[in-house]
Amino acid sequence: MTAMSVLRTAAAFAARLNPLKRANQSSHLLSRAVVRSEQVAVRYESHGKRMFVIKPTEFYDGRFLKLMRYYVLLTGIPLAVFITFVNVFIGEAELAEIPEGYEPEHWEYYKHPITRWIARNIYDSPVKDYEKMMALIQKEAEKAQMRKRELEVRRHMRERGDGPWFFVNTLNEELIDQGHKAVPDE
Amino acid sequence: MRIVEKGCAGGRTEGILFYFPSISEYKMPQDYDKDAYPEPPRQTPVVDKKTALPNTSLIISKLFYYSVDLPVTAFRDAIDSIRNKNKFHYYHQRFRRVPELTECQEGDFVCYYEAEMQWRRDYKVDQEIVKIVQHRARACQQREGGSYVQNCAREYQQFQEVARAFQSRYGDLGAYASARKCLMKQKERMMAKAQEA
Repeated sequence: MTAMSVLRTAAAFAARLNPLKRANQSSHLLSRAVVRSEQVAVRYESHGKRMFVIKPTEFYDGRFLKLMRYYVLLTGIPLAVFITFVNVFIGEAELAEIPEGYEPEHWEYYKHPITRWIARNIYDSPVKDYEKMMALIQKEAEKAQMRKRELEVRRHMRERGDGPWFFVNTLNEELIDQGHKAVPDE
Repeated sequence: MRIVEKGCAGGRTEGILFYFPSISEYKMPQDYDKDAYPEPPRQTPVVDKKTALPNTSLIISKLFYYSVDLPVTAFRDAIDSIRNKNKFHYYHQRFRRVPELTECQEGDFVCYYEAEMQWRRDYKVDQEIVKIVQHRARACQQREGGSYVQNCAREYQQFQEVARAFQSRYGDLGAYASARKCLMKQKERMMAKAQEA
């Protein structure tokens, strides 16, 4: 209590001593005088009183955008620099007619050096892809043909009954003893 | 334009070559076809200064030249000089012709696949042909300005023919177009024609 009053008098004394130098604005809170709002030191505001604008927090949005920028640029900038260097120092290919008797490699049909590198080292040549697809198709065609044939054969055997499938095991006729049937009962 | 009524199977090899004779001779692709895009006559007026006032358009053009044109050209020359040390080429791939869908045995799926791939390549080529003809018509219209209706009649007529042919062959096949569907469309066309006759 006494400390507060001492502080208040000290602040009022300081304010009176130097009315121009407003070193500590909070000293005005201690003094009982009302702060005249128009006399507050304004520098870049045009007119009117200083407002304490209440708006929703931008902390989370700002943090998200900062982090997003950071992580995107972490790989984005090296990638951009690399691509710029490739474009400047290596450059794109020029279109030319195929020389006589020369079979270009499959990567020599692309323009950009990075595409060419990918086509040369990572991808299979389009000819190889084509052949792979044709081999697959041939295998599947053969499988389909075999399955169709099997169904046909089953149908025939089921119909005629004389094949290795779809028959009922009957006893051998020679095993049946016809002896006691030779003479009729009388 | 050999696309007209030629059908999906057969008659492809002559199509483009007969129309663009410049492609059959081996020309460097940098030079465009001078007949297709004729240069308009020059319209630079004779300089006849009658006033003492400075020529502002000349000043502005010189300003633009020194502030924009020269630096950009210098930069490009610098980069080109670096690039010219390791120059390499790329080529335009030429594909062999394989039997069409109509020439395949029934059930020969490998033959079907090859015919289908060839049809897809031809589809792409035809799309590009239409784009080129469109581009020519547009360039002609831009060149002629107000009098494009009479002067560009030939380009417009060519575009109309090509577009009609493309529509009749590949028209409503859709996104899942295939050689087979195109063949069926051709069959329908032929049937409709036979019915009319």
